[in-house]
Amino acid sequence: MTKSKTLTGGALLFEVLQEHGVQHVFGYPGGAIMPIYDALYDSDVQHYLCRHEQGAAFSAVGYARAAGTVGVCLATSGPGATNLITGLADALADSIPVVAITGQVPTAAMGSDAFQEIDIFGLSLACTKHSFQVTDINELEKVLHQAFEIALEGRHGPVLVDIPKDIQLAEVTQRLNKLSHLKNKVKLPLADISKALDLLTHAKQPILYVGGGVGMANAVDEVRDFAEKTGMPSVSTLKGLGAINPDNENYLGMLGMHGTKTANIAVQECDLLVVVGARFDDRVTGKLDEFAPNAKVIHFDIDTAEINKRRAADAAILGDLKGNLPLLTMPLYISAWQQRLQQMNTDFAWRYDHPGDNIFAPAVLKTVSDLMPSNTCITTDVGQHQMWAAQHMNFDDPSNFLTSGGMGTMGFGLPAAIGAQISRPHDTVIAVSGDGSIMMNVQELATIKRYQIPVKVVLIDNAKLGMVRQWQDLFFDGRLSETDLSDNPDFVMLATAFDIKAKLITKKSEVKAAVEEMLDHDGPYLLQVKIDSAENVWPLVPPNTANDKMMESV
Amino acid sequence: MNPVTLNKYQLIIMADDKQVVLERILQVTRYRGFLINGMNAEVNTGNNIATITMSVSSERPITLLIDQINKLIDIKSVKVDNSVAQIKQHSA
Ligand SMILES: Cc1ncc(C[n+]2csc(CCOP(=O)(O)OP(=O)(O)O)c2C)c(N)n1
Ligand SMILES: [Mg+2]
Repeated sequence: MTKSKTLTGGALLFEVLQEHGVQHVFGYPGGAIMPIYDALYDSDVQHYLCRHEQGAAFSAVGYARAAGTVGVCLATSGPGATNLITGLADALADSIPVVAITGQVPTAAMGSDAFQEIDIFGLSLACTKHSFQVTDINELEKVLHQAFEIALEGRHGPVLVDIPKDIQLAEVTQRLNKLSHLKNKVKLPLADISKALDLLTHAKQPILYVGGGVGMANAVDEVRDFAEKTGMPSVSTLKGLGAINPDNENYLGMLGMHGTKTANIAVQECDLLVVVGARFDDRVTGKLDEFAPNAKVIHFDIDTAEINKRRAADAAILGDLKGNLPLLTMPLYISAWQQRLQQMNTDFAWRYDHPGDNIFAPAVLKTVSDLMPSNTCITTDVGQHQMWAAQHMNFDDPSNFLTSGGMGTMGFGLPAAIGAQISRPHDTVIAVSGDGSIMMNVQELATIKRYQIPVKVVLIDNAKLGMVRQWQDLFFDGRLSETDLSDNPDFVMLATAFDIKAKLITKKSEVKAAVEEMLDHDGPYLLQVKIDSAENVWPLVPPNTANDKMMESV
Repeated sequence: MNPVTLNKYQLIIMADDKQVVLERILQVTRYRGFLINGMNAEVNTGNNIATITMSVSSERPITLLIDQINKLIDIKSVKVDNSVAQIKQHSA
């Protein structure tokens, strides 16, 4: 049955959003998107007014990642649209399904350097999976459906739809049926299953290398089942954290630049790498030529372009991990290898017995991790605190650890936590931030205030751009250029100005009670944790170095 | 300095005729490290399919570029034209 009704382009947008199950959007109004905001006035879709379009984009990303759905953000033309770009780039690098709607000057004014006109369609080419500019009202409905379809099809990603003001105002008859599916390109299924089986049965020292693709393929159960049944020791990328059950005795932790010693040594020594939803990123491989030098590679991915991009695959299995991985799930006989790595896991376990009264950031994050309720969603910003969170916190699912992996974008944590909290109102959401990063989207404290979003912020305050300071100390002769933040604002006062309860702790003895107080508090809370500014993240694989040549202290 | 081997390839790309499709192909080609030596684009007005022939050179294997162009939504197919000899250039 096909019904039809007449409505404006702006109203049609919200109809289509609702058809795709969208209940919440993040945005900021302005001249060229006013007809859409006018239609919003009558819509059931709930809009969250962020205080910067970058905040809106990151909240959409956090929403999408925490809930496993598409995140939606809106911005006006010109500066509104350009402010979205960092969020879109972040979503592209981490393959996050986001639909961004931008207003554009009216079609008649386009190309005339009109007020607040920027070619966001042109700008979008390098920072979206796909983009549209709608210049015919009769195309709008189809394009909006396609935007959702493309965001979720294959490897997820951000899609931008630029809508000129006259198109938002134009009247159109809605067709109310999801029309025009994408013409799927015929791709040859590339599946060297028998080759992979052969490699698997002959491997003596295999490693499962787990990436962010696992969560996005909705294949956490399959990967855990594979890890259990094969007994294969596993390592995870930053984005893969949470995919493997942290209690799995053969799980070795994160690999790469700040990976565990055991994970990195194991990968260097392995004779087979089973890669699931990962892409041999440079932060993972260190010096590529020396990464896992003796390993054959079985590479599972949804994106053909990732196969053989940085490391040749001996067997490539392209397509849906959920269906493909069970084909290789079987017991393996590798007990000597397992035992050696389990011993290393014990020998090189993290230590939290840090001398002195000062607060040791890894221990704080471990405490938060131990005390937080199950299914807590952690977001991070970027820097040392991010790596400490990755190293010392445990996540029960990839959707519970949201961090800017590919782009490493400071300013991600707070707005992503807002998005996550809105998508999962009953779960605890904690943003682990740094004193540098928090200031990059600090205006979003106003969003928290307005909607009373009960996000908790653990602010690791070293009064430094700590990660850059660490590199300056280690690799630039201690020439500390522009990394000092000792004149930071009073963060407790700042939070209080936004009606957010806040507390500063400076001594180890205060940690446990403060974390409990934060977790017990019903509303938003900021816990400022003062740490020694000289602390470094260890281990560290120096740039362009093999992963087993890690530094463990200075 | 080691001599750099630049491989030359001719690609034949079929795409939906959208204004932006050429821009997308150019952006991906440059970003992925391929030089464009020449290009020709024509539209079949009957079926609105554009045929783009492009000769490119790079040190990188052509499959890297083909896979990336293939991911563009408006692309129907990408092929290497084997009838055009691959020329290896050596430069210092
Ligand atoms: C938008 C952006 N600008 C610059 C950087 C480079 N950068 C990476 S970590 C870092 C320092 C972050 O400082 P802070 O948030 O205090 O974290 P810390 O390392 O001190 O824990 C900087 C400047 C970045 N990742 N993102
Ligand atoms: Mg800092």
